[in-house]
Amino acid sequence: MSLSPDGGRGSPVIDVQFDRPGRRYDAAAPLVVHSRVGGVDPESVRALELSVVWYTEGKGEEDLAVHAFERIVDRDALLAALAGHDFETRLPASPLTYEGVIVKIRWCVRVRVFYAAGRDYVSEQEFVMGRVPPAAPLAVREAPC
Amino acid sequence: MRLPRIFGKKRGHRRTGSQAWGSFGDGLFHAVLVMAGLVFGALLVTGVAMREWRVNRDYVPTVCRVIGQGLIRREVQDPPGSASATWTPSFRVRYEALGGIRESWTRADAAATTADRPAAIAALAAWPLGAEVSGWFDPADPDTVVLHRGFNWWMWGLTLLLPGALLAFGGSGLLRAVRRWGRSEEAIAAAGTLPVLTSSQFKSATGLPGIPACDDMTNSPGTVLRYRLPLESPESWTLLGLGLFAVAWNTVLAVLAVGAGLDFATGRLHWFLLAMLVPAGAVGCAAILLFTRALLLKTAVGTTQLEISDHPLRPGGRYDVLLAQGGSGDLRELTVTLECEEQATFHQGTDTRSESLVVHREQLRGWRDIRVSPGTRFEGIAGVTIPAVAMHSFLSEHNAVRWRIRVHGIPARWPPFTRMFPIIVHPAAEKSP
Repeated sequence: MSLSPDGGRGSPVIDVQFDRPGRRYDAAAPLVVHSRVGGVDPESVRALELSVVWYTEGKGEEDLAVHAFERIVDRDALLAALAGHDFETRLPASPLTYEGVIVKIRWCVRVRVFYAAGRDYVSEQEFVMGRVPPAAPLAVREAPC
Repeated sequence: MRLPRIFGKKRGHRRTGSQAWGSFGDGLFHAVLVMAGLVFGALLVTGVAMREWRVNRDYVPTVCRVIGQGLIRREVQDPPGSASATWTPSFRVRYEALGGIRESWTRADAAATTADRPAAIAALAAWPLGAEVSGWFDPADPDTVVLHRGFNWWMWGLTLLLPGALLAFGGSGLLRAVRRWGRSEEAIAAAGTLPVLTSSQFKSATGLPGIPACDDMTNSPGTVLRYRLPLESPESWTLLGLGLFAVAWNTVLAVLAVGAGLDFATGRLHWFLLAMLVPAGAVGCAAILLFTRALLLKTAVGTTQLEISDHPLRPGGRYDVLLAQGGSGDLRELTVTLECEEQATFHQGTDTRSESLVVHREQLRGWRDIRVSPGTRFEGIAGVTIPAVAMHSFLSEHNAVRWRIRVHGIPARWPPFTRMFPIIVHPAAEKSP
């Protein structure tokens, strides 16, 4: 179970439970997460989005791709999803999680809560896909494009 | 009401900007472009195009009698300090308009303006005194009359080109900003409206997202092993850059030199231009010399070919590599190395920079004191094993993990050379528990 890092006053508490211990997955494996949103007035929420995303991190500009995406706006479904929602997908074969030196690849589940007032709140829970060990630097070369 | 935060979550070496403020700024920028296009277009249409439109739509036909001829002289300073004149044939005509007889000066055709005075005088002969010609007067101002109608489509095209470009660019950007407003980056990406995500780099034909295709690396069969790998030599880009610079610089120099020569032949001497031609000529000669030297170095060593027993490669797999080195002469050393390099592209101010970092390097094999002759190339076999836990090849818009085989040679009489042969590493086949 994981909580949003700054789930204080005014912020919802988002629980995301992964179906694998240590949040470690093989490539092309099924992924099942259970999410629950608490600490918020359900009437103040207008939509809920759940997505499985990979993005790059490090020295370069961020690249991002969405592997799976679900947006819930129907009032009844939304109230049920805030109380507890299962999200299931099969992961792709690539890219694998990578802890490089200047390029890192992260996989995560994002739960985004949209309020009726217009603002939104996002909780990001990382998981690992594959078993690639961290890289170490050998040499640096920098050149303008 | 709370405004969105300027900065979002900090990631890695940098802090991500606020998406809401980013969308607002993007929308504002493109809205300003749209407004500029509208204002500029309105000014051009009312100031230039509208008159021609009224001549063709509203002016009333009449019959004009030519009662006088003359030339309109306009002086222009181009370049500053040297005056030259243009001449436009013009005519005084008598015509009937709104129940009265009027007289007015007019031009036959705006395109008749010329810098050649005798040609302008000769053009007057086409409209002799006393001739009756068709004309059109302005019903709102009967003293304005024209002897020529029709649309100048070139002028209309040029008039609408700039405001049209501003409207198209600004409008498309504004539409994109409006479509993104209030939507999460995941929703935008999932809808396929995020440009980087529609790139083929993210959608591999092999069903492996983020992994570059290797079709162009397996379409050339080898002579001994299965595939011949394509060459990606940094020296080739240097050579191409030097060649393009030498051609571009010397082309501009030749144009300026011809212009200066023509001026000199007509008795005009531009000292500043001549003074600039001397150092520019020196730079042009240096560019040709550098290009020639680089070309000589590249061709003197001879071609390098690399063949591999299978492709794409997989972690834990062992493959054979054949190195074939052509040319002539002695090589003190020749090595084959497996490398993995991370590459990141980022903005630094207004510059786009790229940084590379080698994270895996393993010499596969080396040879010393080799003699290569034109008839027989040197051939050597090396074994390459991709580490069992290696990262696969990866390519996205701004980030990459590239694998390659690097051939480095030290000729006896020439500077060292390096030639790169990219390879693609796929993820190891994993079993789901």
